[in-house]
Amino acid sequence: MRLLDRYEEIVGHLEVERLRRLAERLAGKRIVHVNSTRSGGGVAEILGWMVPLLQELGINARWEVIAGPPDFYRVTKAFHNGLQGLPVSLRKRDFDLHYEVNRENAQRLNLEADIVFVHDPQPIYLPQFTPPGQVARWIWRCHIDASHPDRGIWKYLETAISRYAAAIFSMPAFARPLACPMFLILPSIDPLSDKNCAIPEAERLETLSRLGLDPERPLLLQVSRFDRFKDPLGVIEAYRLLQPYYSEMQLALAGGPADDDPEGAEVLREVLDRAGGDANLKVLMLPPDAHRTINALQRSATVVLQKSLKEGFGLTVTEALWKSKPVIGGACGGIALQVHDYHTGFLVHSPAGAAYRIHYLLRYADKRQRMGQTGHVFVREHFLLTRNLRDYLTMLLCLDHPEATAIVV
Amino acid sequence: MQVTEPFCVMDCSLVRCATGRVCSNLRELSEAICSVPDAVLEHHMMRCALEDHFELHEFPNDLARWCWTGLGDNVLGEQLGLIDPYRQPSTSALRAALVNVLEERLWGLAYVPWSRPGLELHLVQSRLIAYDTGERIVTPAALLEAVERMSPRSLFYHVHDARRRTAGQSDDFSRWLEQCGAEARLVTALRAIDFYFLNLSQLRQALVDAFGRYVAEAPPVARIAP
Repeated sequence: MRLLDRYEEIVGHLEVERLRRLAERLAGKRIVHVNSTRSGGGVAEILGWMVPLLQELGINARWEVIAGPPDFYRVTKAFHNGLQGLPVSLRKRDFDLHYEVNRENAQRLNLEADIVFVHDPQPIYLPQFTPPGQVARWIWRCHIDASHPDRGIWKYLETAISRYAAAIFSMPAFARPLACPMFLILPSIDPLSDKNCAIPEAERLETLSRLGLDPERPLLLQVSRFDRFKDPLGVIEAYRLLQPYYSEMQLALAGGPADDDPEGAEVLREVLDRAGGDANLKVLMLPPDAHRTINALQRSATVVLQKSLKEGFGLTVTEALWKSKPVIGGACGGIALQVHDYHTGFLVHSPAGAAYRIHYLLRYADKRQRMGQTGHVFVREHFLLTRNLRDYLTMLLCLDHPEATAIVV
Repeated sequence: MQVTEPFCVMDCSLVRCATGRVCSNLRELSEAICSVPDAVLEHHMMRCALEDHFELHEFPNDLARWCWTGLGDNVLGEQLGLIDPYRQPSTSALRAALVNVLEERLWGLAYVPWSRPGLELHLVQSRLIAYDTGERIVTPAALLEAVERMSPRSLFYHVHDARRRTAGQSDDFSRWLEQCGAEARLVTALRAIDFYFLNLSQLRQALVDAFGRYVAEAPPVARIAP
């Protein structure tokens, strides 16, 4: 069975057939994706499915990975933080190191292509060192929120971006004004991945049992890092407001270890402190690869929360909706694109608001179920990787017609 | 019996582009609508239907929706929801209609409504790629059958975008049927569908209903041209 056939079972024959039709117009196009790691992290995860699917669609797609000394990754981590607006202090020699590593990689990598997608800032200076004519078009794919970057970092990166034909951001709010076209491609989830695929009922129950959760009682769930912007304390407050009404209710706050993040460790301490000895409130520290555990938790939840105060796109919301769960989300970022009042869940602005909406959803099982079904369809139509792929193909076709807003190909 | 070309089923796909322009309050929206490129208006008033969020919302365009949910200005949301861009003779006429409503609203307000942080309106434009699916239809009955299963994006292209291409006069289905010599009542019924206020699923149903009333008893009217 071909890769796309597996998605056909989920999104339907027509969607996949139309992807093939669209891709026919790009057959044989040489495309290279460049990033900084083959495994680990969201970008590697995306390229892991995108490159084989592009190949299956008849596009000559390849994936190259830059290499550098450990110090290079310290610098690029600072770039990452700086792009997201955190103050960073880098010296001239740090910028020189980044520049030099890009020069070495431009010589080492096979970048001959019609289009090269450069993902995030690590390989951003490659166009500077590639012989003219080797690459027809460079496209910068920025996966991070670059709307309010550190000025010094942005000045350095902006010089590199001037060589790109286009940039791609995940959401308009993440974009930074640039001279080149700024395409918008929303993130997506893979319905066949460990985190999102159907799992056996026995595995789900075994997971709950292992985590000390009762499958027979209502479960509220928030999956996110222990970060103030995710407002785990607000979730606990909402849960506490409802305890007098639902004494059987359980709350699980699932996140990863925060050893490398001093503030995360502090937030975790506060969360544990606030949780106290409440046997119905579980603070779950899960390893980064606990995808099936998260899958089982999301499938077991009665209501999923993502009560963020500030958020990127919020893929945990997408994951929960895909599993037919209504979501109560903070009214910010990409959550507002996914959570629609009375349709897929509720947007809230306070712990009291979250408590009120949880109360509503626990009270009306039929509405909960209907919202869950709507959420599942909504994600199928808008936030699966087939849509993501279609957006990329469309954007590639648009590049040949820079001025037109409607093109027949 | 008339000879005509078969109906060519198209599909389309849209990609959005950021403009860098953000509105946090009604005054900013009003100023933006005066000056943004036509493509921005077309996206937020027409092409937003292709994203099919309307199924989840009450309003047929992004501007009405944002005024209702982002600004909390329900009156303005209702007024903008009533502006049908396909009934405007041009994009400049559409712009003038929008500006008129926005300025009138601003004129009468004691304060300028603001959106909550995080719910600002990011103005975007879009590019639409249309492509031949390879499917050809030769009879009205086959067209009905095709409408029942074609993608929502095909429906958008053959109805919404067709109106844009023909300056509001016709959708592709009724135009082809007219060329085929199909019953005038069917052509009229299809053109009478108030497509702007339907989401794409509702539009499909409206088309099927209109076809259903006439196709069953109609004789075959088309054959493929040599």
